[in-house]
Amino acid sequence: MAALDPIRHEATDRTPEVLFDFAAGQYRIAGESYPEDAASFYGPLTQGLRQAVEERASESLEFSVEMIYFNSSTAKALMNLFQILEDAAEAGMSVRINWCYHEDDETMEEFGEDFSEDFAHADYRMCPTS
Amino acid sequence: MTEFATQREADRGGLIAEEVLDFQRNMTRRGIIFSFTGYISEGILKALGDALRQKIRLESTDNKTVNRVFSVFVEQVQNIIRYSAERIEHDAEPPVELSSGMITVGSEKGRFFVICGNIIAREDADTLGGRLRELQGMDPEALRRFYKEKLREPPDEGSKGASIGLIEIARRASEPIQFDFEHLSDAYSYFVLKAYI
Repeated sequence: MAALDPIRHEATDRTPEVLFDFAAGQYRIAGESYPEDAASFYGPLTQGLRQAVEERASESLEFSVEMIYFNSSTAKALMNLFQILEDAAEAGMSVRINWCYHEDDETMEEFGEDFSEDFAHADYRMCPTS
Repeated sequence: MTEFATQREADRGGLIAEEVLDFQRNMTRRGIIFSFTGYISEGILKALGDALRQKIRLESTDNKTVNRVFSVFVEQVQNIIRYSAERIEHDAEPPVELSSGMITVGSEKGRFFVICGNIIAREDADTLGGRLRELQGMDPEALRRFYKEKLREPPDEGSKGASIGLIEIARRASEPIQFDFEHLSDAYSYFVLKAYI
């Protein structure tokens, strides 16, 4: 199978900026997310991540989430991505997740804490910014 | 003849202004910031959402409230778009998907409220009512746990993830959400959901 090409999306009104550099093991989602169809926006990202993990496209993996707002169907999509990351860590890959949020943003802080409960093997870090 | 027609136009204009002004004043009295009735698309969601954020930011509300009102608004509008039984779909390019309903945002005694109303299949009313009653009985911690539990599950049959959207609304609301149904016919019911933030 061909090497995975990076996925890059500029931010739009309702979708976040995305950079999935599979070969470098660097992943980033930032901004706001309430797309018309969350499944069609996040489906290819989930698929790409799953393939990258299966093929061990990188030695280690760093995944940064810097969200300002996301709707409930995006939360579901993030959960799917996180499950792949935790499974990869459990299988022995070095996985780090950075949950970045503004220090005053209680909603994003609470979401970050809630998601952290699902990680036992990956290195999950809360990263408040000012 | 011409003079007579002109006079009638003017009269009618006067009546229309009175009626419209009355309508608008009635809305203002009820604290309504804006109300949209008709076919709603994702583009309208974006435009109304922007106007809503700007308006409540101007009222120097703290960021937390702005975000909560916005979040409840988005989930309610997306519920109308996905679940209204009154809809038009067309395989044009780009595809047309319009759902009919009503969305209203207002403030009352220093609190914001978001109301949505739309037609649903009557057979879905019981299931929806049951889900909402369940949410009404939960405190913030229970809602938080329930949201998390739903995220882990595959979506309910035919729900396109709505159950999580309803939990999100209940979590951002400052008191239990209110809802009601009006039965329209054997096939349809009108569904209303109101959340205070």
